[in-house]
Amino acid sequence: MSMVKFEKIKRPEKIGLPFMLDFYPLQDEKNTRISQFFKSLKEGHLTTTKCKECGKVLWPPRIMCPECLSESLEWVDLGVEGELYAFTEIRLGAPLGFVEDVPFCVGIVKIGSLLISARIDDAKYEDLKIGDKVNLKIVELPDSRVFYRFSKDKEQ
Amino acid sequence: MKQVAIVAGGEAKAGRRAASWRDLVQEAGKALFEDVDNLSPKDVDSIFVGAAQPERFAFLSYVAPLVAEYIGVTPRKVIARTELACVSGQAAIRYAWNCVATGMSDIAVAIGVEKMYQPDMAEAQTTMTCVLDREWDGINCFSAPPIFAVTAQRHMYEFGTTEEQMALVSVKNHHYSSLNPIAHLRKEVTVEAVLKSPVVAPPLKLFDCCPMTDGSAGVILVRAEDAKKYTDTPMYLIGSGQYAIGNVINNLASLAEWVPLKLAAKEAWRTAKITKDDVDIAEVHDCFTISEIMEYEGLGFCETGKGGQFIEDGEPYIGGKVAVNPSGGIMGCGHPLGATSIYHTFEILKQFRGDVDKGRYVEGAEIGIQHSLSGAANLHSILVCSRELR
Repeated sequence: MSMVKFEKIKRPEKIGLPFMLDFYPLQDEKNTRISQFFKSLKEGHLTTTKCKECGKVLWPPRIMCPECLSESLEWVDLGVEGELYAFTEIRLGAPLGFVEDVPFCVGIVKIGSLLISARIDDAKYEDLKIGDKVNLKIVELPDSRVFYRFSKDKEQ
Repeated sequence: MKQVAIVAGGEAKAGRRAASWRDLVQEAGKALFEDVDNLSPKDVDSIFVGAAQPERFAFLSYVAPLVAEYIGVTPRKVIARTELACVSGQAAIRYAWNCVATGMSDIAVAIGVEKMYQPDMAEAQTTMTCVLDREWDGINCFSAPPIFAVTAQRHMYEFGTTEEQMALVSVKNHHYSSLNPIAHLRKEVTVEAVLKSPVVAPPLKLFDCCPMTDGSAGVILVRAEDAKKYTDTPMYLIGSGQYAIGNVINNLASLAEWVPLKLAAKEAWRTAKITKDDVDIAEVHDCFTISEIMEYEGLGFCETGKGGQFIEDGEPYIGGKVAVNPSGGIMGCGHPLGATSIYHTFEILKQFRGDVDKGRYVEGAEIGIQHSLSGAANLHSILVCSRELR
């Protein structure tokens, strides 16, 4: 057996969260045609698109109505209150970037005709029940992107 | 259109395997061609590879030619990867079936593979979170356990289903998987053990959930008229149904009732010219205990909302109304996404051959169905298999 040359090579110690594993989408007008949704969110409003032709309220927001193919859509405000339709708490198996939040609640919030999934903040699983009133909450990421969550209405 | 038969199957041992993605597919390929007479990889003209997320789990795209190369197949009619999350394997079988039925292919392989174990569990969970609408549901950490947890919560709320009833599904399927040598989990569990297992996402505990599993399985399809050239015991594909409604949680038909499953079942019975009462074996998608309970209902084995009672009465055991998951199901065998449907289709063939442990053999079975679902249970897919040509 002849001796071969052996050399150690370098690789980066750590690679940051790659873009495609960062769950939050790019929100500005350079990257999406629904940037208005995120702009409104920055101003404190949860909105979605409604078709002017057939009247359907669409979630998530679109650039085209799948019911009638119309591109004639308008932004509508969904208000700041919802009702808890279903919920659970993530105790095991959270994805990257969320592991340090465990345990945390997630749920489905009924707003008018829509059922919107969201993080449910400021409550333990035991504090919640189906039908609870929840309020809109907006979170801002370090890079100034935003997203919506809900928290339990403390008035109840 | 020609009638089509499955003449062989092969599978890798499922589990947390000391094997790579491509090792698994080679194991299944070898077993597949050893299961059939008068047929070698060189005779296969078409191949469909069920693979849900090889980009994330194995850092591979363009996997169909890779698999063909590894198992010695030279595709010259049709080759494709099929991706439909947890239904990827059944999608592969359906494509192969279509190609053989139309005459586009003479001999087609459907083979599925997934390698789900990786060093970082959080990364695997991240991968699976891409299956739901990642920008609107996945972002809120709705991966498989949370969506099925809220489904279970609504089912309990609307119909009075209990955690004990859900646990009974786990007890049944672990019992059967303990008798299945290829299964991932081969230990029996008790109701108490299920209820006391760590909570993943309430009301779901660890033993309400299928495990993360590595595995691969394949089948060979030919025209029914040619089947006896290759085996004395072919299995005939006689019907199917598939239905999807919506994708994002907001656009599901309902949470506590699986409408697309009912519609897929209706189509499966219609195309196979059978009724639900003709089904002897149902290999269904028990990714979570609540899933199987809702499948009893959706397939019409019991009324909507009565699925918990159905398992309490012992009806889905062998000897009951219908044998549900005598393989041990996904709960016991594991759920390597792209391979799952194919494992359970091969299970029905093994049952027809009498090639299973006595303790989980469904004697005299004539009709078996393989059901898979994907996403937030917005898509359901059913194959109807028959021992005899009908």
